[in-house]
Amino acid sequence: MRSGTGLGLISNFRFMEKERNRITINIGPVHPSTHGVLKFKVDISGDTMKKIEPEIGFVHRGVEKMAEMKYYSNFMPIADKLDYIAALNWEVLYASVVEKALKVVIPPRAVYLRTMMCELQRIMSHLLFIGHSGEDLGNTTLFMWGFRERELLMDIIEEVSGGRLAPMYISLGGMYYDLPPGLIPKLASTLDIIEKRVKNEYRALSYENGLFKMRTVGVGIIEANLAIKYGLTGPNARASGIKCDLRKNAPYLAYDKLDFDIITADAGDAYARFVVRVNEILESIKIVRQIIKDLPSGEIKVKVPWIFTIPPSYTFVRQETPRGEAAMYMVTDGGQKPYRLKIRAPSLYAVQAMSEIFVGGKVADIVAILGSLDPTPGEVDR
Amino acid sequence: MISTFFYNLLAGYLPPILAEIGSVVGVFIVGTIIVLNIPLLLGWVDRKLSGRIQSRYGPVYTGPFGLLQNVADVIKLLGKRFITNQSIDKLIYDFIPIALSVLAALMIFVIPLGSPGLILVSIPYNLLFIYIFLALSPLLVLLAGWGQNNKYAMLSGFRGAAQITAYELTLLMALISIGILAGSYDISSIVNSQHTIWNAAYLPITLVLFVIASLAITERAPFDVPEASQELQAGWKIEYSGIRYGLFFIAEYVRLLVVSMLIVYLFFGGWNGVYLPDYAWFWIKTTVVTLFMMSLRWVYNRPRIDQLIDIGFKWLLPLSVINLIAVGFIAVY
Repeated sequence: MRSGTGLGLISNFRFMEKERNRITINIGPVHPSTHGVLKFKVDISGDTMKKIEPEIGFVHRGVEKMAEMKYYSNFMPIADKLDYIAALNWEVLYASVVEKALKVVIPPRAVYLRTMMCELQRIMSHLLFIGHSGEDLGNTTLFMWGFRERELLMDIIEEVSGGRLAPMYISLGGMYYDLPPGLIPKLASTLDIIEKRVKNEYRALSYENGLFKMRTVGVGIIEANLAIKYGLTGPNARASGIKCDLRKNAPYLAYDKLDFDIITADAGDAYARFVVRVNEILESIKIVRQIIKDLPSGEIKVKVPWIFTIPPSYTFVRQETPRGEAAMYMVTDGGQKPYRLKIRAPSLYAVQAMSEIFVGGKVADIVAILGSLDPTPGEVDR
Repeated sequence: MISTFFYNLLAGYLPPILAEIGSVVGVFIVGTIIVLNIPLLLGWVDRKLSGRIQSRYGPVYTGPFGLLQNVADVIKLLGKRFITNQSIDKLIYDFIPIALSVLAALMIFVIPLGSPGLILVSIPYNLLFIYIFLALSPLLVLLAGWGQNNKYAMLSGFRGAAQITAYELTLLMALISIGILAGSYDISSIVNSQHTIWNAAYLPITLVLFVIASLAITERAPFDVPEASQELQAGWKIEYSGIRYGLFFIAEYVRLLVVSMLIVYLFFGGWNGVYLPDYAWFWIKTTVVTLFMMSLRWVYNRPRIDQLIDIGFKWLLPLSVINLIAVGFIAVY
């Protein structure tokens, strides 16, 4: 293209000139706003981002390989730490894969309890997202409030399972324990408190606050086709107007018996992603209330031995975690351990899409957009 | 006036020249004690207030209600080793914290402390002096960024200087409109001119302009763009540690207090009030204004640097010019 003509040389020179004005800065891996250990190499010209390169792999633990070296039951605590903000969702997903391969059907009470735990975990994850968004934009009050409400649910989870961040509540074939007595009224009142605070207190501080809107509206826009191109799912895709929610589109657990809506927004910017998550909290509260109302009684697990074999098979299960569509593909060869376990982590696709979303934004938008995409390096790097 | 008080006290025992020197020393000691106590007290209030807003307790362990927490922090900062980079510009690096805190302290020396006679050094046009001490800071922020020889500190220094320059003019325009209306740049006469009606009642736009501009100029959140901790970590203070870093807190809190006092003097009638003595009225009003200025930090998030400069130059500055013209008309007719 650029031959030896004078014009070509000049344009070449200008091109170089422009390149020279660019500065490359590294953001992360140890940075309070990267939500874990994530690194970005950003080319900036002035204050505008020209090119961005996410670098992942700082918390790579070889989870998929670990699965091949453990008995089916022993992988559960590791599944739990894939995404440490939504541990129960991943526990349920892994249990579902193994149970599908084993052809075990879990009792209805366990199905409802699992659904409830998934939704509680979704509320907790989104509350943490709200808190982190506030922190990223420089509002520490929102951060403290988000964690305050999350703590209430943490207490519930602790009472149920004994753990907080990594509860280990789901066992193969059902749940480890039944709900302790007196938990349901406590849970109901907690949900009331959270609903009230999300609707009133958070509104003043975040989604109706002028300065908050100034920072998020029109920032980090994801067009619907970009979301499809990169395979974005979950709230990130729903904020771009794509009606994709596995709880509705391919119902699993008890979701086909529950009444709820898919929350979408059209703008596709950071503000839309925030609002979608806030509304999903309210929607999840609605779901949990329905579950409390018609929670069936009976057994909570079927007997599955600790060590067992699964005949050669290919099993694929996908479920909706707070970050989007998570999936596990398990190949078994008749042994006591899986032959291969492939994990699809929704955050990875969000991190990939960042290289296009960030371009044209300001440096200060990095934290705003990154926060609004809500990735977890634990599940990105596996 | 406190210097006259010291002079009269000493003149009975000493020759006039020694009494003069003694009064200067006395004023210096009193002023320094006041200045050094402001960050201790205001820092505690700030921590407690933020704690209450965020459903926390704030400091509780050190002293009653955690009152001694800041004293403990100062002792800790004093005991810390100076960790400095090899390549710093030593003179500027050491000079900046001292200059910033001394500039802040000078404001306390020339501002009335709640009643017409209660002033450390009485000079005419003290409002202009205070403005100058406030307005010198962008230069110092730039120098601070330069002296640390760190590219991030330098970038942040540019941001700080850009922000303060953008809002300084608005602050000046607001001050001028008050000065035109009162016919003086002396705080006492501005307060006296509000004897019947407060300036806040018929200059609401100037009040809003002044509050926004003074928040920006003191670099308090939501306008803490120069040290945006999520983007830049410590901003232009990044290489400072120990008591040098502590000196910045003196500057920050004294400036916050001075700005709150100015708002009370210029817009809320200063020490004018009924039943209670004048200093009581003044400090009640100042407490309310200071708490308000502090709580803004915990309600709003930070705007982006370009948005901040946009607001400053595209909205507040034209608005303040129009406001100034309007006030001029009011004053003439």
